Amino acid sequence: MSDKKSHAGRRIAAALAVAGLAAVFYQVVADNMPKGEVRQIEGYTPWAEETITAAETLPVQDGGRVKPLATYAGFTMLGLHGARSMKIEIPGKEEITLKPVPWMLDVLFRPRLAVQQPTFRVDNSAALEAIGVKPRGKRDRYSYADIESSREKLNELSQSYAKIEKEKRDPLQNQILDLEANVRTYESLLGYFSFARFGVSMQGSAEGGGEDKRADLSAMMFATTTPEIRKQIDQSRSGGAPVDPRLENLIGQVVDASNLAKHGLMILPPGYPLDKTWKSAGNAIMEVVDGTAKDPKTSIEDISALESLARSINTDEAAFRGELVSFNQKATQRATARNEGKKIGLEATYYRKNWFLYALVFFLMGSVAALGMGAFGKNTAGRVCFWITLTSSVAGLAYCVIAITMRCVIMWRPPIGNLYDTVVFIAAAVVLLSLVIEWLVPRRFALGIAPVLGALLIVLARRFELGDAKDHMDPLVAVLNSNYWLTIHVITITLGYSAGLLGAFLSTGYVLMRGLDLDEGDEALRRALTRVVYGMICFTSFLSLVGTVLGGIWANDSWGRFWGWDPKENGALLIVLWTLSILHARLGGFLREWGLHLASVFTAIVVTFSWWHVNFLGVGLHDYGLTSNKDTIWTFYRCMAAILLFGFCSMMNEKFRPKPHVAPDDKG
Amino acid sequence: MENISESPAPRPTRSPAGKTLDFLSGFGLATALLLLLGLLTWFATLEQIDNGLHATLNKYFHWKAWYLFPEINGKMVPLPLPGGYWVGAMLLLNLTLGGVIRIRKGWKHAGNLISHLGIILMLVAGGVAHHFSEHGNMLVREGSTNDTAVDFFEYTVEIAEIKDANPSSIHVIRGASLDNLTEGKSRIFRLPNLPFDLEISGYLTHAMPVAVNERAPARGERDADGYYLLNLPPKIKAEENTAACYARVVNHDGTKSAPFILAGAAFQPFTLRHGDRVFTVDMCKRVWPMPFTVKLDQFTAEFHPGTMKPSKFVSKITRIENGGEAKVTISMNEPMRYEGLTFFQASYDQSGKTMASVFEVVRNPADKWPEYSLYVVAFGMLVTFLTKFGGFVAASTRKNRHV
Repeated sequence: MSDKKSHAGRRIAAALAVAGLAAVFYQVVADNMPKGEVRQIEGYTPWAEETITAAETLPVQDGGRVKPLATYAGFTMLGLHGARSMKIEIPGKEEITLKPVPWMLDVLFRPRLAVQQPTFRVDNSAALEAIGVKPRGKRDRYSYADIESSREKLNELSQSYAKIEKEKRDPLQNQILDLEANVRTYESLLGYFSFARFGVSMQGSAEGGGEDKRADLSAMMFATTTPEIRKQIDQSRSGGAPVDPRLENLIGQVVDASNLAKHGLMILPPGYPLDKTWKSAGNAIMEVVDGTAKDPKTSIEDISALESLARSINTDEAAFRGELVSFNQKATQRATARNEGKKIGLEATYYRKNWFLYALVFFLMGSVAALGMGAFGKNTAGRVCFWITLTSSVAGLAYCVIAITMRCVIMWRPPIGNLYDTVVFIAAAVVLLSLVIEWLVPRRFALGIAPVLGALLIVLARRFELGDAKDHMDPLVAVLNSNYWLTIHVITITLGYSAGLLGAFLSTGYVLMRGLDLDEGDEALRRALTRVVYGMICFTSFLSLVGTVLGGIWANDSWGRFWGWDPKENGALLIVLWTLSILHARLGGFLREWGLHLASVFTAIVVTFSWWHVNFLGVGLHDYGLTSNKDTIWTFYRCMAAILLFGFCSMMNEKFRPKPHVAPDDKG
Repeated sequence: MENISESPAPRPTRSPAGKTLDFLSGFGLATALLLLLGLLTWFATLEQIDNGLHATLNKYFHWKAWYLFPEINGKMVPLPLPGGYWVGAMLLLNLTLGGVIRIRKGWKHAGNLISHLGIILMLVAGGVAHHFSEHGNMLVREGSTNDTAVDFFEYTVEIAEIKDANPSSIHVIRGASLDNLTEGKSRIFRLPNLPFDLEISGYLTHAMPVAVNERAPARGERDADGYYLLNLPPKIKAEENTAACYARVVNHDGTKSAPFILAGAAFQPFTLRHGDRVFTVDMCKRVWPMPFTVKLDQFTAEFHPGTMKPSKFVSKITRIENGGEAKVTISMNEPMRYEGLTFFQASYDQSGKTMASVFEVVRNPADKWPEYSLYVVAFGMLVTFLTKFGGFVAASTRKNRHV
């Protein structure tokens, strides 16, 4: 009877574990595989690896710091396309996967090919119907060419929806506003090099009834610096004497060209050392024409170099690469002279290596092995699974630690400065804590849970990055600009979250094991697990209390109050109060094994509220204005509530189940 | 042989006082109070979204709030909860009795004892800050000086005699005396050096004067010289509330003037003549004189390049006191602490011709107490944690050796 029950329990547990792993695996694949049918692009030639390498380290100023083009391209693609890769097909040839840098090179330098790429992710086809584009499916990706004909309608709708208060807009209106913003961002890149591709037309220069001659914009910029033309421009600006209509026309063309290249890439380090903001090509052109440029010579040379770069693509890729390398070297030298962009190479490597993806692969391997470890027990196969789980967990942890360390070096600040940082840090901390517990209590339950939690948290980080589509290495606002406090307060609090979550998941394991009779009544195992969970609650309580008070001291130094009842502060206090009440209830004898574990499972809900949910409330100093992934929180709450309910029912069942009768003869 | 079963020794009966002491110092009460505080904190976190922070704190943690009904999304939750102030006070009592006085003494429990002492200090610091701290802000423009701060929330009534076009002998009626004078209640404030007293009534937290001929009173509001006070729902940001009340001059012969309106939203104070003397009566945020003058020499607001994300706010000031001067730099995370006052870099204003820096000014007698309590708590918890952890490792090692 007992055997049958334990087998049934094991089967249920195995099925649940496989379903969980399959869900994680699906998320990974869904994150990385493009949706919709693969587009055919006639005449497309993939970029050579050397060209991509030359482009990815090109310095760009964005989000308040200097970063490689690879980072800029990655987050732009993520924001527009919803993934860092895109599949296209060359007719009659193979399918290829476009990564962010080649995609960006297409948009900037081969716009005719780029407009056919399925760049825009649209999650609600109704948004397309509203602007008159025939949708392909409920969720799909569309090219600029698909949307271009409805650009005017999109503009019109977004202008009317922008007037509606944010809270009162419906999801469709938000979708249309997002789509319009994405299309605008794309257009700013698509038209960025128009000035270089087309130059300016010299009105009245046609000979023999042909077209007007065209001139380089940089030559026109140079002309505006000559005293005679400068005088005419100034006259025109001041509304004085009329200027030559041909000059007026030329100035108009220059202004148009500069407007097209005004946004997007801030790619030109200023020649004037005290200027902190880099220039886009449009800024550089306009400043020279306006006469406000502090260093017009450098600006003209920069625009000339960009013209050569954009036109060299018409020769061949090798010529383009040569121009690109040359421009990159000049820009890098100037950035270095300004003491900027020193970590560009390291950052490009960070994104190229994709450390967290490899960590995820190891954690998934470890999770499968952990499943085997539980199923096979302590025989040879079980021992093999044990070692695979251990090795995979350590390897995954190592990848996480390397990635986090690289991020610290690149950002030159402690590892946690925003919500994304907390996820990857907690992933590493939870795995490390699990391994330490396994070392202290070698009963395999901590080892078994390590890769599973590692995988779940890395998936969460990837989903958050996808939803947020922001560069999380950008600099912090003034009040957070304190490495000392960021180090001690934020790390302590985040370690508290890690310990609380680990304790909660260990208790989840306990509830499932005991409820499904997977442990076959192994009292020693239960006691060991209870001791570990109790320890984790103590640890959570210690870290959360110290972290919360440290936060108060920081707040007292920054804002003049120790405690401001900010939701984030309250969330941290909730963890402290909850864990302290568990400890006092345990000491008072109100909680025994079952009670302790059920309370510990509830800790996961308290930690999630403090860590994630408060960021959605829309009030307080820690409000990040997040809207994505809110449903995930509620799904998590429901799952934990289901486990609590299951645990409570199992506890009641055990309590009221008639005790098996033990015959006197069986005693010995 | 007769089977004699031994019954357990009877527990000594506890007196009612002993039982009360057991209850007040027990783990059960501690657990219940911690859970209640958690519940109150959770509800207060959610309620501040709709009702604003100041109003929510007053509802949940003011000493006058004995009990409350929480609200979520504007709907009342039918769950009466005790006021947070009194839950905190009970916790302090429980902690003192159970966690300090009655806790088992000895090395094993030394860590817990130290932690409890630290938490008591923290709770006391919270209480002292709650009752005795003052908050205000001071705006100073570059090249200008200021020697007063303005309270965030407290509205006062100021009565000043105007002599030579300047206010003199100012009398101030503090907010604590005003805010309970709601509709139907009035109080006469004696003004010893003035030829009259002042009767205040109908105090409203957030209101504006409206002309009767513009919008007729809908709820029978009092008419004062063609105006009445329109009661408005309190602002989510309580510092934006504009308080108002009705007032009457009470002459020393007992006669009273016609009522007039005092409003925080009014641009000018109410002017009254008494004989040949001129007085102004104004409702305004409390002006808080500083013991020194602050001159702003330079304010710098730096942003991360190409963004509107602030990277640094720095105010270089001169502190002028008794003819002496001291140069001080105040920036984010680096306040100026002097003579019991702390100046924090709060924000800035660029609407005028020159930049202005805004400082938050705080007087908190318990300013550093939480920090000191943290050292005590952290030390105590560390001792406890290391003691337990040491025992745990030793037990695990013994066990592993036997496997």
